[in-house]
Amino acid sequence: MHRLWNRVDFAFSSAWQNFWRNAAVSIASVLIVWVVLLALGSLLLVLHSLDQIVALEKTKASAISVYLADTTPLSSAMDFKLHLENDPRVTAVTYVSKDQAMARFRQLPALDPSVIDTLGTNPLPASLDVTVRDIRDLGAIDQAVRNSPLVDRSPATNYEPNVIDKIILLARVAGIAGLVLIVGLTGLSVFIIMLTIRTAIYLRRKEIEVMKLVGATDWFVRWPFIVEGLFVGVVGAVVAVLIVGFGYRPAVVNLQSVLIFVPLSFDQYYLRLVLAAMLGFGLLLGSVGSYLGVRRFLKQ
Amino acid sequence: MAALMPVVPLISLQGVHKQYPNGTVALRDVTLVVPKQDFVFLVGPSGAGKSTLVRLLIREEKVTAGKIHVEGQDLSRLKRRHLPFLRRKIGMVFQDFKLLPNLTVFQNVAFALRVTEGALRHLKPKVEEVLSIVGLEGKENKFPDQLSGGEQQRVAIARALVHDPKIFLADEPTGNLDPATSWEIIQLLLQINARGTTVLMATHNREIVDVMRRRVVAIEGGQIVRDEDAGGYHAPALESR
Ligand SMILES: Nc1ncnc2c1ncn2[C@@H]1O[C@H](COP(=O)(O)OP(=O)(O)O)[C@@H](O)[C@H]1O
Ligand SMILES: [Mg+2]
Repeated sequence: MHRLWNRVDFAFSSAWQNFWRNAAVSIASVLIVWVVLLALGSLLLVLHSLDQIVALEKTKASAISVYLADTTPLSSAMDFKLHLENDPRVTAVTYVSKDQAMARFRQLPALDPSVIDTLGTNPLPASLDVTVRDIRDLGAIDQAVRNSPLVDRSPATNYEPNVIDKIILLARVAGIAGLVLIVGLTGLSVFIIMLTIRTAIYLRRKEIEVMKLVGATDWFVRWPFIVEGLFVGVVGAVVAVLIVGFGYRPAVVNLQSVLIFVPLSFDQYYLRLVLAAMLGFGLLLGSVGSYLGVRRFLKQ
Repeated sequence: MAALMPVVPLISLQGVHKQYPNGTVALRDVTLVVPKQDFVFLVGPSGAGKSTLVRLLIREEKVTAGKIHVEGQDLSRLKRRHLPFLRRKIGMVFQDFKLLPNLTVFQNVAFALRVTEGALRHLKPKVEEVLSIVGLEGKENKFPDQLSGGEQQRVAIARALVHDPKIFLADEPTGNLDPATSWEIIQLLLQINARGTTVLMATHNREIVDVMRRRVVAIEGGQIVRDEDAGGYHAPALESR
């Protein structure tokens, strides 16, 4: 027990001294770790949000809302509904009245109800929500209904053929750009941690010489430097984790109020995973950097 | 005398060659046996190969050819992870003391115990014991730069004694000291030898070796040119130069 304690005490107090003895380099390595982890955490959260949006858009994809002009009488709307139901490509048609449309609109997460009340008359059109057997027929249905006199003009339907593709493309571009950035920063941070450790070893060269002379084991000599590297990783990670942890909810809330129709939500469970991943990655950076720093320089 | 020699000598070198990577040959065909409790002066001019021999004994360097045994253990077969345990059997001091300037006398000595995971409980009595052997009681809290050269070398000697080494190696321990102080250090090494530790001291200091009636091994150009049980430094091989 005493021996273990001695080893731990020696490693930690030496690591602490090392950290402050070359404070400038140490703090630079904490900063770079912090930047890497901030980038990693943000990227994971952004990609996750894009995923959420894609998933929701996909469920909507087999349906199309045909907006009816306010002047269309209910009986004509019902004839139109029947006409569409007889189309072999269509599986179901639902009529959504102006009031139902308003009720749905009120369900949107980030909408301030008082704003809606100031609108006075209900601006939302009634619609026929058409579900098709095969999503590829959506375009043809859109074309078929677009020119009917019963249909509203601005816009006629909610058909947006490319929206999913665009989001998927955006996610892919963001993912690749983020990955490239993170790989680059990871390399840089491992390199800087390695430099930090080598500086610490250089500053301790006399102690190391004496340690080897009096019979300290290789691991006893190495531990303080490994601990220092881990310390750099942990400090950088903790600062990044705090920022991402406390910043995610306000960021989502702000975006929701700007992008009202985008189904963005706060995912507490996923956030925890991301924070754990950041901490783990910080430790990994610290240990790899210090291992590389220690490896060559402590061979005699 | 031969009948009294232990079966396994403490240190033995057989046909040892040492060539450094840059091509310099520092030792050629050196054969030397040091029994337990011996006191050996290793003499020779600067560049003769004394330090190289010492570095081979703590395996800071490896032999190019030949064999070195310490307590019957073949150093060329010693695994790297066992090296620290060889070093704990050997106390070692140098011309330049190698003290840590930011640690006190007590801390410098305690350092050797701490970094070899000596239990902290036993640390203080052991440090006090070795400091009293070298005669530094009362100086525990001084820093190296507050001490004379002789006192600094005593701290280094105390540090080398904390593991109760079987072998004590001193490479030019008096190289930086005036004659009177050198003499005191030699007395201390004799005292350590008298307590049962085998001592090997490398020096090019003739005066000291001359007055001591001790075993003298002379090296020149990497070869042993003389090995006498109780001689001075005046060997024909050296005088003929
Ligand atoms: N690390 C080294 N690399 C190359 N040559 C060395 C090295 N150390 C010592 N030498 C050479 O080996 C020879 C013996 O040196 P050394 O053992 O230091 O002698 P001494 O201690 O007797 O003065 C010298 O010629 C010296 O220059
Ligand atoms: Mg020398």
